Amino acid sequence: MTFLKLENLKVYYPVRGGFFKRVVDNVKAVDDITLELKEGETYGLVGESGCGKSTTGRTLLGLNKATSGKIIFNDVDLLSLNRREYSQYRKDIQMIFQDPYSSLNPRKRVIDIIAEPIRNFEKLSSKEVKRKVQEVLEKVGLSPESIYKYPHEFSGGQRQRIGIARALTLNPRLIVADEPVSALDVSVQAQVLNFMKDIQKEFNLTYLFISHDLGIIRHMCDRIGIMYKGRIVEQGTTEDIYENPQHIYTKRLLSAIPDINPDNRDKHMAFRKQVDAEFNNSFNQYFDTEGKIVDLRPLSETHSVALP
Amino acid sequence: MSKQPLLKINNLSTSFRIGDDYYAAVDDVSLTVNENEVVAIVGESGCGKSALALSIMQLHPQERTKMAGEVLFNGKNLLSLSVSEMNKVRGKDMGMIFQDPLTALNPLMRVGQQIEESMKNHLQLSDAEMKKRSLELLNKVGIPNPERTYMQYPHELSGGMRQRVVIAIAIACEPKFLIADEPTTALDVTIQAQILDLMRDLQSQMKTGIILITHDLGVVAEMADKVAVMYAGEIVEFADVSTLYNNPLHPYTRSLFNSIPSAAHGQDRLHVIQGIVPSLKNLPRTGCRFSERIPWIDSATHEEHPALHEVEKDHFVRCSCYQHFHFPKDAEDLKYDIS
Repeated sequence: MTFLKLENLKVYYPVRGGFFKRVVDNVKAVDDITLELKEGETYGLVGESGCGKSTTGRTLLGLNKATSGKIIFNDVDLLSLNRREYSQYRKDIQMIFQDPYSSLNPRKRVIDIIAEPIRNFEKLSSKEVKRKVQEVLEKVGLSPESIYKYPHEFSGGQRQRIGIARALTLNPRLIVADEPVSALDVSVQAQVLNFMKDIQKEFNLTYLFISHDLGIIRHMCDRIGIMYKGRIVEQGTTEDIYENPQHIYTKRLLSAIPDINPDNRDKHMAFRKQVDAEFNNSFNQYFDTEGKIVDLRPLSETHSVALP
Repeated sequence: MSKQPLLKINNLSTSFRIGDDYYAAVDDVSLTVNENEVVAIVGESGCGKSALALSIMQLHPQERTKMAGEVLFNGKNLLSLSVSEMNKVRGKDMGMIFQDPLTALNPLMRVGQQIEESMKNHLQLSDAEMKKRSLELLNKVGIPNPERTYMQYPHELSGGMRQRVVIAIAIACEPKFLIADEPTTALDVTIQAQILDLMRDLQSQMKTGIILITHDLGVVAEMADKVAVMYAGEIVEFADVSTLYNNPLHPYTRSLFNSIPSAAHGQDRLHVIQGIVPSLKNLPRTGCRFSERIPWIDSATHEEHPALHEVEKDHFVRCSCYQHFHFPKDAEDLKYDIS
């Protein structure tokens, strides 16, 4: 059974102009990507800003419209369903947003924020709703008494846990985490990451983990896809990517991470210069005649690369 | 190579008014920056690192801020200068690189005008000379087509290009001293690497002293000569970069290192510092300020009035609790804070 598979997914934004505002061009935010997630794993989607990683995540939730392709979840193509059929699956896929400050409505109390998905999908009395909200709050390590507080009364890490609690209320199976810790300090970051690992084990969750931070990706993910200009250029297990990167873009991305050991500074800088030179020299080889990144080619069972 | 002290901060305290009372965000900080040296200030948000930077530049609103101590720059105490005297120093002898290049630039002014603005105030140059110099600067910071960028507006540039413009503005009058406040936080890793390389090149060419403010220990490892770790308004550890990374001593420094994923790979769980950074109003003013976040350490090991001790040559650590510090041993200690 396929847990989740994105098949030849394309998301284009039309550029209109000229006579009668006809479509003159497309911005190819996501350009024909295929990837598969197994149940219970964490798949990391990495890339620089503008590479289409967030668009992929949002399309998966139906927040962006796919231009073509398939999103197969539990053997059903979500894009072929009508609204009512689709709503059954909405509960199973939830999202954790990047910024815990803007993703919580400041005028709602915690109970209303967390109960919103319950109210949308389940018919429960207000007592039951309250009990359920308190339950999830306890799971994320916040006190059940805080249900009548407002978001501004919490710290950044606590707010992100409220966001996670909201995502957990409907017992989802897949969570799209879009830069869940980028806005947080390192120590708070550690707290949220540990916590995400804990609940993953507890509820057998699958994560699509979107981030630009390669250190966090390495820590969290089982498998990784590197995105560049709307395409996946390399995909493999964490080990494949970090120990044996093949695509020049992956190499460049990895070499750009600052080395935490100051004694290696000069060595690391020389290495980065070398990779940069290689990147500039061989850059064009990785595109086909139309300037599109070539398709992925398998190297081993787990590892595939867009090599010419 | 002899190093001259360029900036010397003696017992600087900066307090902000909240209601009727003043609270110190920077508390009795002393620091020296020599010529041709990068001093990094590390800490989480709310630890006072940006407040310290703005105090040096005197960019805090005066009516709500009290400052005490000395900031000696070229032998002059900046705190005793009048506003107009300070205006002559700021931008000319001292430059600042801000965190977010989009908000630091004026969206309604062309890039060229913004670079020339500080030259207009500080240097007596003709328009043609200023333009020539701006183009040189844009070239120096690695902008591929200076003539074109000169006439562009900030929104037409990418994040990395904007940050290059911000750097060009900061070095327009060839300052001897720069403050870089989280210069790469808003940028992607590959761009970050380019900007750091650029800053390093400029620094070695111009022999500037730099205060680099960041929360990213990787950036510090790449850039800094010396590191000051700040917590709750105080410097808790100070050493040169190699010493600090190979032998961190203060509990806060060690906790920080253990909570970064990139340094801790292979280890399944990251260390979580218990509790939260106290807000300005609730800062503990007596005893070891970090004590409440390491409750499993015997309170008798803290000093009553923690001082900076020189534990080895040029390596300073505050409070004696570091001698007895260990990470929590049983799972109970590792549980997230229940609030």
